[in-house]
Amino acid sequence: MSKTATFLNSQVGRKIATGVTGIGLVLFIIVHLIGNLAYFGGPEAINTYSYTLHQMGPLLWVVRLGLLAFFLYHVWLGFSIWLGRRRARPESYEVYASRGWPSRQSWSSSSMILTGVLLLLFVITHLNTFAFHDFQTAVINGVEMHDVHARLTEVFQSPLYTIYYVIIMVLLGMHLRHGVWSAFQSLGWMSRNTNPIIYSVAFVLALIIAIGFIGLPISIYFGLV
Amino acid sequence: MSDQIMTIHLKIWKQNDPGSSGKLVDYTMDDVNPDMSFLEMLDWLNERLMNEGKEPIEFDHDCREGICGSCNLVLNGMAHGPEPGTAVCQLHMRKYKDGDTIVVEPWRAKAFPIIKDLVVDRYAFDRIMAAGGYVSVNTGAPADANALPVNKYDADLAFDYAACIGCGACVAACPNSSASLFTGAKVSQLAHLPQGTPERKRRVVKMVDKMAEEGFGDCSNYAECEAVCPAEISITAIAEMRREYAKALSEIV
Repeated sequence: MSKTATFLNSQVGRKIATGVTGIGLVLFIIVHLIGNLAYFGGPEAINTYSYTLHQMGPLLWVVRLGLLAFFLYHVWLGFSIWLGRRRARPESYEVYASRGWPSRQSWSSSSMILTGVLLLLFVITHLNTFAFHDFQTAVINGVEMHDVHARLTEVFQSPLYTIYYVIIMVLLGMHLRHGVWSAFQSLGWMSRNTNPIIYSVAFVLALIIAIGFIGLPISIYFGLV
Repeated sequence: MSDQIMTIHLKIWKQNDPGSSGKLVDYTMDDVNPDMSFLEMLDWLNERLMNEGKEPIEFDHDCREGICGSCNLVLNGMAHGPEPGTAVCQLHMRKYKDGDTIVVEPWRAKAFPIIKDLVVDRYAFDRIMAAGGYVSVNTGAPADANALPVNKYDADLAFDYAACIGCGACVAACPNSSASLFTGAKVSQLAHLPQGTPERKRRVVKMVDKMAEEGFGDCSNYAECEAVCPAEISITAIAEMRREYAKALSEIV
């Protein structure tokens, strides 16, 4: 095996890879959230935003393929670590309990595999709803472009889809509550003093991201925009 | 001294040998002195079992003052019981209430096979140490204490990590059975000291590889290890081990 393969297959390398891919995905999510907020600027703002992204050409494809690679690697590592649990403890405890703080076992960290799988399924349906959708066109300043605004408005008229979307965003917040902090710990960017700070910052970030993503569908559904 | 005698219900894991399957067996102790340690209560129970001609319950213990790392009981699902920073030998029955039920189990991990009842084989830790947890120098007479300067920050951290008694509670409490806190403490302790510096790269690579080879699981940063550690070693040790490993790329084969 090459040096890189040995590194990536080691227990430390696997954590570092989970952290790096996770941080990459969070950065994407933040950009995605900022993009979504363009909806509040009206049809022109969000449609032009989408159009500008599509004009990036090859660069857009580099980002897309990079994201796909990060996403798949992150998913694979998650499954692999989860499957290893049973191998490392074939006979489980009759009674098991957490001792509490400083333990970070919580509703968030204990459900990483569950929230992760649901997010994976969501991403597939989400791409189908938006990215692979045959958009209507809008003409803005004489340029023909996808009418993303109309599609968003249409999709979030459905109460079922809106509820589904909101639930998934709550799960995303839960996943990031442990994930963001965990990434810093995995990359070794932690000292005894920064550890509790980053743990709190991760909570705030997860909350902002979840609320940010929930804001748009709720606003559309209740006709606030 | 409390003179209030307690009744404690115990459910203790009994297993004859590594191959057979074990089960929880009920015992009731109706004369527990609150000032007994948990292990003294087990001694008391064993005395009684032996007087009845029964086989006593096997459990590991040695110093009974929280520094040897021998005792290893999981009480009601928590390694070393409910008290923070306390090995189970230092846990006193006054922490429990009259009539409490306590489930007593051994450390459970593939890398720590059960020998009998509550006794497990922890040689896997010794093999991780043998892989690199040492300093290779031929020592002569003790060096003068001030000959090798170590700054206070590093000295304090190294000392905190050196507090590890190698009991294995970190593995027992980890949902993934990871040995990261143990290995991290040993790697980081030596990395902070001038004596450990020359071999730091080779050390971290060998110890991390050995940890995986022994069958310990991956770390998921649950930090349960820090919560149960009788020496209260911080998971910063694990973060440091990861930094050390990333810096040791040149030593990875």
